[in-house]
Order: sequence, then structure tokens, then C-alpha cells
Amino acid sequence: MLKNYLKIAFAVLRRRKFFTFISLFGISITLTILIVLAAFLDKLTSPGYPDMKRDRSLYINTIVQENPKASGMMRGPLSLYFFQHYAGVMKTPENIAVSSIFTATNTYVNNKKLVINVKYTNGAWWDVLEYDFVEGKPYSLQDIKNAERVAVISEDVKKQYFGDAGKVTGKYIETDNVQYRVIGVVKSVPITSPFIYADLYLPYTLSKSDYRDRSISGAYTGIVLARDKSDLARIKEEYKQIVAKVPPQNKDYTILYSHADTYVESFTRMFSRDQNSSGLGILLAVVAITVFLLMLLPTINLVNINVSRIMERSSEIGVRKAFGASSGTLAMQFIVENIILTLLGGVIGIIFSYIILSTINHSSLIPNFTLSINFTVLSYGILACLLFGLLSGVYPAWRMSRMEVVNALKAS
Amino acid sequence: MLVHLFKLIWNKKRQNFLLMLEMFVSFIVLFVVFTLSVFYYNNYRKQQGFEYEDVWAVNYGLPPGITSKDSINMLVESLRNMISSMPQVEQLSFTGNNIPYSANIFNTSIDYKGKGVISDIYTADTRYAEVLNLTMLSGNWGFKKGERKQRSAVVVNTTLKEVLFGQEEAIGKRVKVDNEELEVTGVVNDFKSKGDYQEPGNGLFRIPDSIDHQAQSMILLKISPDADAAFEAKLYKAVSNFSKNTSVEIEHLSKKREAKNRLTLIPMLILFTVASFLIINVALGLFGVLWYTINRRKPEIGLRRAVGASGTDISGQISGEALVLTTISVLAGCFFAVQFPLLNVFDLPSNVYFAAILLSVTFIYLLVIICSVYPARQAASIYPALALHEE
Repeated sequence: MLKNYLKIAFAVLRRRKFFTFISLFGISITLTILIVLAAFLDKLTSPGYPDMKRDRSLYINTIVQENPKASGMMRGPLSLYFFQHYAGVMKTPENIAVSSIFTATNTYVNNKKLVINVKYTNGAWWDVLEYDFVEGKPYSLQDIKNAERVAVISEDVKKQYFGDAGKVTGKYIETDNVQYRVIGVVKSVPITSPFIYADLYLPYTLSKSDYRDRSISGAYTGIVLARDKSDLARIKEEYKQIVAKVPPQNKDYTILYSHADTYVESFTRMFSRDQNSSGLGILLAVVAITVFLLMLLPTINLVNINVSRIMERSSEIGVRKAFGASSGTLAMQFIVENIILTLLGGVIGIIFSYIILSTINHSSLIPNFTLSINFTVLSYGILACLLFGLLSGVYPAWRMSRMEVVNALKAS
Repeated sequence: MLVHLFKLIWNKKRQNFLLMLEMFVSFIVLFVVFTLSVFYYNNYRKQQGFEYEDVWAVNYGLPPGITSKDSINMLVESLRNMISSMPQVEQLSFTGNNIPYSANIFNTSIDYKGKGVISDIYTADTRYAEVLNLTMLSGNWGFKKGERKQRSAVVVNTTLKEVLFGQEEAIGKRVKVDNEELEVTGVVNDFKSKGDYQEPGNGLFRIPDSIDHQAQSMILLKISPDADAAFEAKLYKAVSNFSKNTSVEIEHLSKKREAKNRLTLIPMLILFTVASFLIINVALGLFGVLWYTINRRKPEIGLRRAVGASGTDISGQISGEALVLTTISVLAGCFFAVQFPLLNVFDLPSNVYFAAILLSVTFIYLLVIICSVYPARQAASIYPALALHEE
């Protein structure tokens, strides 16, 4: 039966080549756009190097101090003091990695300017995040305690600063007029992970601003690692309790907010007006509406063409009906045909998106950022494809099934 | 004739509904794309208003632990003297970190006679206009020597001047910023400090009367064109020796401009690609459907030809039908589009919306005409005898 449908479908596709071209064009390009979009979203939200334990990590990126009456507000990263004295006393987490927001510094090598982004971290940073050490090792707690001038650099900086030199551990790198001894080289991180990316990692005790400063807000963010995924809710709760006890720093402010969020929430919260909502729902709604609008036009177009196509086949339908085929069977046949068409378009779409994604990867638009079609993205693509086929097939099939036998035969 | 066409379409409203829906949605897509393009293009055409070539920005910091205003003042003056003594430096100005093309924005409400407007606030000393080569339209950047200095001076840009004072003279007026009374001493022309595609917007420049260096962290330098990386390294060394314990960064405004423009251009490019794909898709579909309909209506057309209609009549009818369909969709689209300027959504000037509506309407009519020309001509060339014979 299905084999028959397939045969008919291909025969129909070959008959009106122009219509087939329009349908395939619409389906494949729509899918290409959706797959590229999905690849971006997937890359930005799912665990990636070096942040591999995202599913059991919570992120503390901002603290907000507010005075609702005078509508004054202060919002920004937190201080190291806050992490050591408040967040650091949490019992449930396994570990807390703390690092400063990266700051750009300049260095001049061979009459060329290099911009090196510096990040100060604690010791747990190297345990929570799984950096690939190309050579050397991270700095130890002892190094941090002694404020040793040691640094871990990224491969990109190694290439830019030292050129093609072999091993660079033990050599010195100078930026901001300070010399640091390189003790490790790690694989570079794309800037799309802004809380993890840096070119040069240093012990926080080397930080130029006084790390003993006792204010609450500062330049640091934290990653809280749970022992197990099921602990996340408890950590969120524990953190909430701790924050509730922290007095606002300045007497102008009366309320203080800070949240331990999952990775995606920590970004959506930036766009959320309400302090107690993470804004995740809004993001999902926006994505859904965009995808819907993107698919709406090609779908209507496909429906339109399909309707025309059916009318053309009215004689075939009339004959089959006259010989006793039920409306359901005919509708089913048409939907199957349409799904075959969309799957064909889907295959072309996947080839297109593969070409586009590798072009993006090769163009190094964002350094160290590689997009790929993985299983998740592909399954979304196929799902979109089937949905597309159904949506554009159902209405024409319904129209067809209602066609009167007499009319259908007469029209031919 | 027109009434007749409407009747024809009304009789086939079921078949035509999908086509109309498609054109309606295309209209909305076009409207969005054209609104953004018109908005950015209008801004792009506006004057740059300042020079960014050969202007560098130095992010510095005060050495920690110094709190007395006098000693900070002395330190900063020595830094100024040191930098301006370098032969490559033509002029320099101390300012806050919301320099042109930066991601930082400071804004607050400016009150004048009970009217409050939100405006960007820049802290900029008296050489700011010279470094960026701004045009002073009237007044001065700060008080002249010998004038009373009890009040702090501010300079407003043309947009803010018009919003606050209209046609009145601005100089000498007092505005309230954060409960502080400041006197306007000058009006400067608008300049696009947020990128080529953004509006200049309201701008107010505070000139610090007693040097308040806490609010400043940037130096803008006008340098001579022959300055090279070696000079930059020298400048960097000098500033970091001064700042000792804080990070220093030197940036070139021309590079910052490119980065800032890219933030607008890349999303627009993506939007254009997606929209043009949708439109091509729609055009192909429209073409296909019209072409198909004509093949199906051969007998009808043949009959009309037989009773004396000319080829032009037939093609006119086909194009006419398509255009009536378009008109219905466009009217529905316009109804929604007009709500944007009427309800003042998104704060864009209403002429942008009207220009966008006009462009979308023209575009969609052109599209339909192009798509219906070939099918209509095909219909016109139908031989009555042949068509009737087939029947």
C-alpha cells in the first residue's frame, strides 16, 4: 500500500516540475533557517567546553539593590567578599567557582598591539570547569595564597604572543606592565560564554583592585556546583535564605535581590522586569512566536499550491471514488504524499544547513565558536518537517475528500 | 468593470481566501522590514557631527588610596600635562566612560519648568568639543573666564534644546538635573555617538566646575595621523605608570565604530535574508497559482474570446483580478499597520511608519503585477477555437 503511495507521489512530483520546485524550495529553505537557528540556540544553551557540568551547576551573576520608593537601583556583579562570606558558607554545594568579569588590557609585542582579556579566579575554578590543558597545569591553592605571579593562558594568546614557539610554560608574558610566569595553556573558549571566557587567568590575590574590599557589589560572578542534579532546588532555596539575611549596603537601598540560576535562566533574567521571575517563559514564548511566523508564510504558500494540485487531479479522485475508495483513504493518501514531499525537502534543507553552518564555522565570525548539527538539532528539524507536512497537507486533503464524484468526473 | 471584478472574487471567496491571507502576511513582513530599514536609513543620512578618525580613548584609573580632592586634582593635572607634552597628541579631554561608540549609557531626567525629559548625560571637560571637532551652534563649552561660577555649566545638543526650550534662546536657562540647578552655557550640534544607524537623541554635557575626577575614567585624545604602535606603547606605559594598580586600555574610536555598526548591520542582514526568502517563496507560489488557474479557466476564456473580447481585455481581466485580491489584503494590512503610529508603539517617529506603509504597498503591487504578467499574457494568447474545441 505504502509502496503504491510512494510510486504515485513520485509520479505526481515529476508531472508538474515547476510546482514541485516551488514546494521543495519553500520547505528546504524554511528548514535550513530553522536548523541554523536551532544550532545557535543549542550551542548557546547546552553544555559545552569547558562548562561540561551545566546540568548540575547554578550561576550567580548579579546582585540588585533597590529602593522601590525612590526608584533607585544598583545592579551588577558581586564582590569577592560576598562570595567568601555569604555564598561561601552554603552547605549543600560541592564547590563554588568564583571569577571576575574579564577586563581588557593591552600589551605590545613587536610593534603590534594585543588586547588580552584578564580574569581573576579562585582555586575551585579549575575543579568546577573542565579545561583542556594543552600544556602545564592550573595554579594551586598555595600559589593563590602566596600571590605568586603565575598565569594560565589560552591557546589563542599563546599563538599571538609567542608565535610558533614550542612549549611556553615557564616563559613570561607581560600585560598591563606586569610580568607573569606562564604555568599552563588551555584550549580557547568562545566569547559567547561571557562568564567563562578569558585569554589570561590569574589568581584573585593578584587582582589590582583590593580583593579585601568589604562591599557587596563588585566584579565577580560565581558557578555553584551541586553534588547531584537533585540538589539544585535545595541550593536555590539555601541561597535565597542567605541573601535574605544580607543587609543592603547603602542606606539608600532597602531591598536586595540575587539568585542562583540555571544557565539559561541566568541570561533570561537580564531581560526580566520582575525580580522574582527568571523570564524563561518569556524567552520560550518569543522563540515559539518567531518560529510560528517563520513557518506561517511558506505553509500558506504550500497549502495554496497543494489545493491547485488537487484540482488538477480531480479526474483521478473521481474515478477512485466511483470505484469505492472512501474519503478517509484518499485524504490519507494525500497526506502521505505531502509528507514524502516535505521529507524530501527536509533532506535538501539539512544539506543546505550543513553547508551554511560549515561556512559560518570556517569564516571564524566568532573565534573558537563551532556550530554543528547534532542529534537534538536534527530531531527538531525532522519534527518541524513532519509538522510542516501535516499542516500543509490536512486542509487540501479535506477539500479533496469532500469533492463530489460527479463534479470531479465532470471537471475532467 | 471594477464592480464586476469584485463580484467575481466574491463568488470564489473560498478559493481566494488563502491567496489573500498569504498576501496579507507578506504585507506585514514587508512592513516590519521596511520600518526598520527606513528608520536606520534616515539615521544613516544624518550628519555624523564629529570626527572619530585619529581619536583614541584611554581607560585609566586613579591610584587607589588617594581621597583628598586637592591631591586628586594635582595628580590628574600632572597626567594631563604629561600626555599633552607628547608631540603626537594634539588635544585631550577627560570624560566619563560613555564615550562615543561605547556600550555604556547614562541617562537621567532633565527638568525645565516642570517638564521632565530623559536625556543622555556626558561628563566632559572644556576640550571635549575640540577633540571630537564638534560644532558649537551658540555659546561656549563652559563658562568664560571672569564669569560667575557658583553654578555648574552644561551644554545641550540641538535635539534636547528643541525639546526643552523650543524656539527660545537656550543660553542662560537653568535646568534641573538630579535636584541640582545647572546653567546652560552652550548649544552643540547633534552627533551620532551610538553608531551610524542610531538616532543622536537627547544629549547633555556636564562640565565639571571643580574637577570631580571620580566621575571620570576616560581620556579622549586627538592624535596626529603619523602616530604609530610604538607611540601607543609609549603612551600605554606612561598611563599605566600613573594608574599603577588599575587596568589601562587604549582603544581607537574608528575600530569601536565598526564594532558598534556591526551590532546593527548583522541582525538587519539576517532579517533581510529571511524576509527576501519569504518574499521569493510567496512570489513563486503566486505565479504558480495564477498560471494554474488560467489553465483551468481555458473554456471560460475561450468563450469570452469567441464573443469578441480582445487579448488585452483578457489579460486586463486576469491582472485586474489579481490586483483586486491584493487591494483587499493590503487594506487589511494597512488597518493593522496604521495602529503603530496612532498608538505610538515603540516610540519611532510616525513618518517612518507611513513611509514604510507606502513602500510595502508599492512593493506588493509590483510583485503581484510582475507575477501576473506572464500568466495574463498566456491567457490572452488562448485561441477561442482551440479552447472551445477542448471543451
